[in-house]
Amino acid sequence: MLDVGRHPRINLLAYSEVQEVGGEVGAFKIKVLKKARFVNQDLCTGCGSCAEKCPSMVVDAYNVGLGQRKAIYKYFPQGIPSVFTIDAPNCRQLGQGKKCGVCAKVCQAKAIDYEQKDQEIEIEAGAIILATGYEVFDPSVIPEYGYDRIANVVTAMEFERLLSASGPTAGHLDRPSDIAMEHELEELEKEHKKVSRQVKQLEEKCGKTSQEAAEMLKACATIEGIDLQAWSDMAAKAGQMEKRIAELKQKVASFRTAKKLAFIQCVGSRDFRFNRFCSSYCCMHSVKEAMIANEHDSEVRSTVFCMDLRAVGRNFEEYKVRGGKQSNIEYIRGRVAEITEDEAHNPVVWYESTTNRQVVHEVFDMVVLATACIPSEGTPKLAGLLNVELDQNGFFKTHPLAPLNTSRPGVFVCGCAQGPMDIPESVAQASSAAARAAEAVSVRKVVG
Amino acid sequence: MSNDVLVIGGGIAGIQAALDLAEMGIQVHMVEKLPSIGGKMAQLDKTFPTNDCAI
Repeated sequence: MLDVGRHPRINLLAYSEVQEVGGEVGAFKIKVLKKARFVNQDLCTGCGSCAEKCPSMVVDAYNVGLGQRKAIYKYFPQGIPSVFTIDAPNCRQLGQGKKCGVCAKVCQAKAIDYEQKDQEIEIEAGAIILATGYEVFDPSVIPEYGYDRIANVVTAMEFERLLSASGPTAGHLDRPSDIAMEHELEELEKEHKKVSRQVKQLEEKCGKTSQEAAEMLKACATIEGIDLQAWSDMAAKAGQMEKRIAELKQKVASFRTAKKLAFIQCVGSRDFRFNRFCSSYCCMHSVKEAMIANEHDSEVRSTVFCMDLRAVGRNFEEYKVRGGKQSNIEYIRGRVAEITEDEAHNPVVWYESTTNRQVVHEVFDMVVLATACIPSEGTPKLAGLLNVELDQNGFFKTHPLAPLNTSRPGVFVCGCAQGPMDIPESVAQASSAAARAAEAVSVRKVVG
Repeated sequence: MSNDVLVIGGGIAGIQAALDLAEMGIQVHMVEKLPSIGGKMAQLDKTFPTNDCAI
């Protein structure tokens, strides 16, 4: 990443989108919209003091919604280019029309520019490489897995963020339901502090306890300038909050990290209701995630539920076996029929074990769904702009004998934009696509 | 006529393609939709099969 940002022959246009493509191989004319960051990219040093002081909290897309970031943000800490961006719709000053300007005040480099406008850039290129990647399938459309109902059923990408030391839990396998309860406790404690301060102020002002005030209210007595009903309601509310806080504190104290994990394969892929194709990399990433979870905490045990575990590459089978032997991973051949939830927010997995010929249910701490790889959101639009064809699954169409060529000469495709594949294959394809594109621009150079 | 190459997408595939081309002496323009390049791989904790850090 860093090399791309620094390379003298790479013109990096991040936060930009292709708007128009004209011309033909050797002379494509492309219009690119460079979106306004509201931060001068040449002045920003990436120090982060703006984000530190920014008052607006926004759900963090990089952490797949598990964490929060500020309205002025860097997509992720190591992100290149290393500059901040204002998320205009969530910014008080730009999106909500309020007076704020905190980031501009604290920025020592004077890089904040609320007046910055989107910019249209024209590029000429001899060849185009499509490397638009993929999107993760949204499992909430599969009702039996309960992804949108059960907090501790997560996608593989969410699980990656939970495992990551730079993620929302600093690498601890805290369960989402537990995180939500801790958050509720935190919010409740804040609210309780506020309410009890108001009650205390009233008590001091009138020289009476809340109980005395309640009794006065019962006796229909009044104190001038004081709403006794509101006082008594507030005191009752504070009492209820205290009870709930005590309850939550007891629960939170009993929390431990997830120890028993279930991995469910082929979620949204190899499923005729959604995508018929195999997403190819999920078998291995589930084994990898189970191994890493066990590396973090040797008490972690995992069960992988699959139709068949497709360990097809060189040494993949050995990796799978190593996971079973050294990382407490068990592989069960069986399709999961349903996931339910018990009172302690534990997911209960119902499945048919094909080896025992029995329908079984088992309680886990957390379930990880190996979600399908689907074409990225902008693929149909980009295909329209470029006038290239898509295949039956919605990825860019290529010819079996020319796997990097799209239907338009001079436009090549690599990585998951062409179909599901793992990282080494994406990298190999990228190098090939680079060679094909280089050929397209340099052969012409020699000839003409 | 142009000898430049446009790479659309700044994930691991786009990054590899852009670096290869730039090393060959070809001018590259890389367009990425998000504020930072890195793509999905930057979201991963460790990568298969070496279990090395993704970033």
